[in-house]
Amino acid sequence: MTRRKMFLRMITASLLRRRSRMLIALLSIAVGATILSGLVTIYYDVPRQMGAQFRSYGANMILLPSGETPLTWEKVQTVLDMVPDSELVGATPYRYVRLDMPSRQQSFTGAGTDFTQVLKTSPYFSVEGAYPENTREILVGKEIAETIGLKTGSSIELSYKQTADSGNTGSKGAEEGALLSGSAEGFNKAILKVSISLDEDEKISSIEVDSSSQTPGIGSNVGTDQAFLDQFIGKSLPLRLSGTASEEQGKGEDTGLIDAVSGATISSQAVVDAVNRTVSAENAVPVENREHFTVSGILSTGGEEESYIYMTLTDLGRLTGDELLDVAELSISAPSDELETLCSSITDLNIGVTPRLVKRVTRSEASVLGKLQALVFLVTVVVLLLTMISVSTTMMAVVSERRREIGLRKALGASDRSIRSEFLGEGMFLGGLGGLMGAVLGFVFAQVVSINVFGSSIAFQPLLLPVTIIVSMAVAAASCQLPIRRAVAIDPAIVLKGE
Amino acid sequence: MALLELKNVSKIYGDLKALNDVSIRVEKGEWVAIMGPSGSGKSTMMNIIGCMDKPSLGEVLLDGVDISKEPQKKLTDIRRDKIGLIFQQFHMVTYLTAVENVMVSQYYHSMPDEEEALEALERVGLRERAKHLPSQLSGGEQQRVCVARALINHPELILADEPTGNLDETNENIVLDLFRQLHNEGTTLIVVTHDPEVAEAAQRTIVLEHGRVAREIINENFGK
Ligand SMILES: Nc1ncnc2c1ncn2[C@@H]1O[C@H](COP(=O)(O)OP(=O)(O)O)[C@@H](O)[C@H]1O
Ligand SMILES: [Mg+2]
Repeated sequence: MTRRKMFLRMITASLLRRRSRMLIALLSIAVGATILSGLVTIYYDVPRQMGAQFRSYGANMILLPSGETPLTWEKVQTVLDMVPDSELVGATPYRYVRLDMPSRQQSFTGAGTDFTQVLKTSPYFSVEGAYPENTREILVGKEIAETIGLKTGSSIELSYKQTADSGNTGSKGAEEGALLSGSAEGFNKAILKVSISLDEDEKISSIEVDSSSQTPGIGSNVGTDQAFLDQFIGKSLPLRLSGTASEEQGKGEDTGLIDAVSGATISSQAVVDAVNRTVSAENAVPVENREHFTVSGILSTGGEEESYIYMTLTDLGRLTGDELLDVAELSISAPSDELETLCSSITDLNIGVTPRLVKRVTRSEASVLGKLQALVFLVTVVVLLLTMISVSTTMMAVVSERRREIGLRKALGASDRSIRSEFLGEGMFLGGLGGLMGAVLGFVFAQVVSINVFGSSIAFQPLLLPVTIIVSMAVAAASCQLPIRRAVAIDPAIVLKGE
Repeated sequence: MALLELKNVSKIYGDLKALNDVSIRVEKGEWVAIMGPSGSGKSTMMNIIGCMDKPSLGEVLLDGVDISKEPQKKLTDIRRDKIGLIFQQFHMVTYLTAVENVMVSQYYHSMPDEEEALEALERVGLRERAKHLPSQLSGGEQQRVCVARALINHPELILADEPTGNLDETNENIVLDLFRQLHNEGTTLIVVTHDPEVAEAAQRTIVLEHGRVAREIINENFGK
């Protein structure tokens, strides 16, 4: 038998046959190692976890239209294609317009959005009732709800007034041959749309009328009655419907007169109005779209959102007659340097989209993360110290318990080195075993914490197993230093003296 | 040539002279008993001879080396190589089996050899109890294991401090028989005892009183 074998035999016998005290030391190390490996696991996982958490405090990037060109969902989609699926938490489009409430002669900010995305970029949205699910349902900010006494289930009429610079794409002095469009209220306030083109003399060269909103078979004929439409060709704007007030007053011989389709005077007038409006938008009589909405929920955020009325983009688009966006809020789970790179590549795309990082969130994210990691580090150090104190105290007790045995070993010829290595061997053995237990339990601990606190699971870090074992052995070895000094100082003569 | 020679050795604890100017000689192969009342300095002397303590005054020559001048580390080496110790309280490592306790001595001396350790246990009549823990052995059996442990490395000198003090007559006789065998093999024995019967087994008895050698008695009947 080799000395090494005997060494191991003595150490394992000491641990296995003496148990009690050693079990306490083992338990101390295992608990310490559990907390250590658990915290380290969380420590390395915290940035990822906290990143997700912080991003859930709001969007960290917003997309705005650059210059004159409006923002559209297609453009946002082009940007989203640049973000890896795994990093995209959510993308929420917003359109803000002024909405009137005719019954109260008040106006509010109306917002169109995608309610399936809203919580991903604005998780602080808190809704009493429900998010709109059906068409013509709205989410009303708490402030509005309180001032005008709206409740879930209340019905309210909202109207959108088209003005020169909101929605009507008609433009004065358009290029020759360009297609111009305009719209006007026809029968029963339903919107009727026309598009015309002008020749070099600013005379109408073609006309197309969308009269589908008018009464079928009567008003709708204005779009199909070729004789009616032919009257427009070759005339210059503005036009008038014959038999209307302005004709009787004999104003302006130079303007063209249009005969109405019989039985569809209102629709015919609407066509004329719409045609006139294609080039004189600023003079246009505002067109008003009204719809009744049902309140599905009341929104509280503690912010300005409480004074908005939210509806789906589809509902808002029906009111405004377009599908434009004002802003898109993005929540992306990526470090700030990656976000900055993304920003510059979006700008480089040159598709009329200006990205902005929401700096406040990303910066505080980093600083809170730093503080949290410092805290975890501190706790780890404290736990290590406590483990060391505990193991050291236990080993101290073990040494005094084994005074006679140590004295005997010395009397039998054990050198100080032998005594030292035997105790160190026992300590490291405990450290290794405790570390192994701790690594396994620590992962379980981290997993439980992660699931409960962050709501997501953690992957096992294989490297953590040897690291935990080595650290535990080192801690055990360090803890044994003082007890070993005691052991070495024991006088072998106590054995003969029969103490 | 003397294996051991104490020249004017004193051990002083404060006012107390545990040993007071003691001079003795022990020849190679000799079997000496040391007697004396409690507190007369027997254990103190054994500690000094066993290289576990140093005298305050005087010289201790073991195999020609003055161990009173050697550093602590050297004393451990000398003890390990030359001396086998047997104690009254039959100290054993409680969590090791009989054979493992014998092997501990081999381990510190040179190489653990289980077969040799079992042979040593055979010699003290305990081979079949080799795998027992001390708690499973009687006092007499434990002391026999200690004897096996003391002789395993073939020391020149065996120091026994009241080896039979806590033994019944049967075990006392077994231990004395073992001493006789060791003596016949040429091992030098110094045995501290209270028991006149044990002292009478030796060739010579040194009586200590108040730290001094009071008298020496030669056993005329030795070997008869
Ligand atoms: N370390 C010590 N410190 C002080 N006094 C001691 C010490 N060791 C022994 N003595 C004293 O020395 C004397 C001799 O003790 P010892 O050699 O143990 O006697 P014996 O073994 O003959 O009974 C006793 O009075 C004892 O109290
Ligand atoms: Mg004594």
